[in-house]
Amino acid sequence: MNYTHFPVISVMGLFLGAFLVEVFGSKNKYIRNTIVLLITTCAAGLMLYLVKPVFIDGQIISYWMGNWEPVEGYAIGIGYEIDALGMFFVILTVLTIWLAAVYSIKYMEKDSHLGHYYTLFLMLSGSVLGLVCTGDIFNMFVMIEIMTFAAVALTAFRNKKGAHLEAAFKYLVVGCVGSGFTLAGIVLLYMQCHTLNMAQLASILHGNLTPVSVLALALMFTGFGVKSFIVPFHAPAADAYMSAPTSISMVFSGIVNKAGVYGMIRLLFVVFRVMDISSVQIMVVLFGVVTMFIGVTMALAQHDFKRLLAFHSISQIGYVITAVGICSMKGVVSGLFHAANHTLFKGLLFLCAGAVLYSTGTADLDKLGGLSKKMPKTTICFLIGAFSISGLPPFNGFASKWMIYQSLYDKAVTTGNFFYIFALVCAVVVSVMTLASFIKVTQAVFFGQTPAALKETHEVPFLMRLPMWIMSLLCVGCGIFYRFTGNNLLLPAMKSTFNITSYIDKMMGEGTAAASGIENITIHAETGFEYWEPVIWLVLFVTVLLAVFIVTLIGRRDRGKVLSTKEEADGKYATFFSGEKSSHSHVAGSDLFWGFKRNWKGYFNVMQKFHSGNVNDYSLMAVCCCALVIVFTYIVLL
Amino acid sequence: MFKKMIAAAGAKSPWIYHINTGSCNGCDIELVAVLTPRYDAERFGFKLAGTPRHADIVVVSGPVTSQSKERLIRTLEQVPEPKVVVTLGSCPKSGNVFKGSYSIECPVDKYTHVDVSIAGCTPKPEAIIEGLYTAAQILKEKRREMK
Amino acid sequence: MSSFFQIIENIVKAMIFPGLLYATAGGLLLAGLDRKIIARMQRRVGPPVLQPTYDFLKLCGKETIVPHVANKPVFLAAPFVGYVSLVVMMLLIPIGGYSAFSGKADLIVILYLLTIPAVAMIVGGSASGSPFAGIGISREMVTMMAYELPLIIVFLSVAKLVGGDSMNFSLQDITAWQEQNGPVIFSLSMIPAAIAMLLIIPAEVGMQPFDVAEAETEICEGPLVEYSGFPLGMFKLGTAVRIFVMTSLFTSLFLGGITSGIHIGWTVCGVYVGDLLVRGLIHFAICAVITLLCMTFIHAITARLKIEHLFKFYWTVVAGLSLISLILVWIGV
Repeated sequence: MNYTHFPVISVMGLFLGAFLVEVFGSKNKYIRNTIVLLITTCAAGLMLYLVKPVFIDGQIISYWMGNWEPVEGYAIGIGYEIDALGMFFVILTVLTIWLAAVYSIKYMEKDSHLGHYYTLFLMLSGSVLGLVCTGDIFNMFVMIEIMTFAAVALTAFRNKKGAHLEAAFKYLVVGCVGSGFTLAGIVLLYMQCHTLNMAQLASILHGNLTPVSVLALALMFTGFGVKSFIVPFHAPAADAYMSAPTSISMVFSGIVNKAGVYGMIRLLFVVFRVMDISSVQIMVVLFGVVTMFIGVTMALAQHDFKRLLAFHSISQIGYVITAVGICSMKGVVSGLFHAANHTLFKGLLFLCAGAVLYSTGTADLDKLGGLSKKMPKTTICFLIGAFSISGLPPFNGFASKWMIYQSLYDKAVTTGNFFYIFALVCAVVVSVMTLASFIKVTQAVFFGQTPAALKETHEVPFLMRLPMWIMSLLCVGCGIFYRFTGNNLLLPAMKSTFNITSYIDKMMGEGTAAASGIENITIHAETGFEYWEPVIWLVLFVTVLLAVFIVTLIGRRDRGKVLSTKEEADGKYATFFSGEKSSHSHVAGSDLFWGFKRNWKGYFNVMQKFHSGNVNDYSLMAVCCCALVIVFTYIVLL
Repeated sequence: MFKKMIAAAGAKSPWIYHINTGSCNGCDIELVAVLTPRYDAERFGFKLAGTPRHADIVVVSGPVTSQSKERLIRTLEQVPEPKVVVTLGSCPKSGNVFKGSYSIECPVDKYTHVDVSIAGCTPKPEAIIEGLYTAAQILKEKRREMK
Repeated sequence: MSSFFQIIENIVKAMIFPGLLYATAGGLLLAGLDRKIIARMQRRVGPPVLQPTYDFLKLCGKETIVPHVANKPVFLAAPFVGYVSLVVMMLLIPIGGYSAFSGKADLIVILYLLTIPAVAMIVGGSASGSPFAGIGISREMVTMMAYELPLIIVFLSVAKLVGGDSMNFSLQDITAWQEQNGPVIFSLSMIPAAIAMLLIIPAEVGMQPFDVAEAETEICEGPLVEYSGFPLGMFKLGTAVRIFVMTSLFTSLFLGGITSGIHIGWTVCGVYVGDLLVRGLIHFAICAVITLLCMTFIHAITARLKIEHLFKFYWTVVAGLSLISLILVWIGV
């Protein structure tokens, strides 16, 4: 079976689906849903078929559009090329798209103009898929542009509130600044190398960095940084994730900012191959550390469910960037793993936020409370997601964070650089702060007392719960069997990040890489992560738990009874309230962590100034940051 | 299987919850004095609990003002069985000098079964220890009778 | 057949030593000792050493009232999760030269496993729906944020001292290193870290002056306010085991290897029982009591801090102490 066509069919299919939905599906919801589900399922199926050839057989899928193959060693057509790294992101993308499509059907049914929604959704999906499949850097830019504009339009989709339009506007302006940087970088590269194919660029640029290409690197790095919403480009993300419909927020945090991360990895590891310079590593790690820290502290101060999740998205991307910036084999493995885990648990958390929003109509942490009795299944999913993101063993977030710590420590002792120890301490503190802010959500939304306005809340329909269950299962599975994931998905992806000879040769013909002096490095087969055995821990946990249960059961007759009631009651079953009649008294989100906030008052005041909400400031910050990156790269690379 | 152990432990670890129903504070400080190093009630396992949910012995002091009546009843309800109610001082038993006041609704016996009464205005710490110790023995009996 | 015996052996390990029975008994004894020592420091007789055991048994006999606003399954399950995860942690800490499940967890894993019981208490308290519990969990969480920073720095300095230029987070290797080179605390650069760790343990186990989360006089024991009967007993048991786990962790991090010269060739079924007894049990018992004495001393002479003072204390004084150690060991003193 000739599967080299599959990537292009999937991407085209999604774009075609966008067209079909607009033409046939804007009136009838059955036609519309059928088209969307069919197209996304087909795309997912076709792409997942490639898992075997890419990951198990170690092939690289390449496809020249219109069969325009390279002429005289110069790539003139658009080429699609999927190596293990690309395939890794492809899996995340198709999974997220499919789950978001399933979730949208029920979640969006109360909105109007759903034809437009699905058109934009499919365009967004198609563009992200195209971005990770393509081997052509200008094609990548085109996909970024489609992605940005679809995302902007979707942010403003529920445009009844001014805030949503404002969020879209911020995203549009800052996103365009980023796209502008990327385009400028691509132009400079094209001018110097006369080609746009990444494989060929890599072979030309190897050991051949001129001032022009360094400028291009700096510009494109900033451009992709804007797309992945690292600090200081993060401000529009918080607004956008909050305003967009939740199914779209999930796509944003699951794959749209991963697209930026993918672009960075492609750029730094494959096209320019500058990551073995230690100053570049420190720059990238610094970006990561600052991002994770500012993201999480801002999240602690939020009182909107989705906005809080948005800041956590930023923070977790910080982890990914840090890990990738370490540029050791362990580092890249753990970074990619954390990227995948982030897609899973953050998607899950956004879906839970969506479920809460769907049932109650609000996402304000100060107005919610006690939903665990009304929505028990959502609560379980949320707790799994929350424990995963805060890195509680044995969930997946712990496995990847633990790997990141190991790689940071490893890097610190091999280079003797204290900076990495600082990064490691930061990462641990950020992790516990993440836990803190999810405890806040747990207390404010799911536990505690139910406000009178929410007495009639019900559990969400099955079609919305299905994606949540799938994500939860994947979270638990990836955490317990992290070794399996590591050996089968992460190691090949990491190998293709470091060893790009076959990536170049497949596109440009055998021997191209060797001719330009690119060599493979030896990669150890094992990951080097030995000291965490989730399965053994789990078995021990269950054994001891069983023993305790059995003893409890034997002593059942001698123990005091467990008394509970379903009715609202005063007296015995009321909460203790110093003897007073207990009225509704819920400790809501804003009330928590008083001591912490008081100690950090100065910091939060600075942050408040920093997040002015003014789009001019944000653009200025982006430009200044770009200038700094340019200066820095010129100093260290030339 | 564990029944005897549990019942025996009941007398050795009585946790006290103290309710003040309008007392003049005389009995209250004497109760606290019982827990100080001088009298050291902790050697019998006594401990002040912060909430009625943890309590075994509820110590009521004061003449039960009309304001505190409702709160007293509610708090007593919130204590899990087996529990022992102890009145401290003369006020909860008879009203003492407040007797006949329009705002007093004593005695406590009207609202709950009182197991031990420690009389005196204020009782001596030795008397309080004696009373609490008796209460602990009653607690053990109550636990034994529970199914 | 051999695999059958292995399963039996592992079950014995998990249930008796160093698992369920050992952890529980040791924890209850230590908790009782703590109360006794404080009483002696205040010149009174104090409760019997078995007092925590009596408390637990008595709580078993009480009714359990679930408030109507509480989420019943979570409310009842949380104490079990907290307690069991602590017992499992005990299995992962090597005792002397012996560790039941060797090399299955390193310091970072321990750091994260330590958060599970705290989270169990937080979630349980949160599920009870009481406003007192709401304040309590907030304080518990801030305490956790406060001590996590110095704790990771302490772990890093020990790991750096033991590992040298190669990476080492494994508790197993830290123990082995101490068998060779003497206790970690004997190296000068590690003394500040040891002091920092001794200051962290009271916050970790919720002991005065760092028991802001369970302050019974202000917020009615915080997360535990609505618990009664058996689940409350499980939480109390969990706290007791937590004291034991933390003192054991301190012993294996800082005080290992003191008895490494002693060797008794007395074996049962191929296990050096004599060595295990001296180098494991007796050594650990003595060290645990010494560690406990240090904590109890602080407990007896101080009053409870306010939450913002606690946070400041940990991020300045304790973190500073541990950072001194890390820098000293990094530059190779």
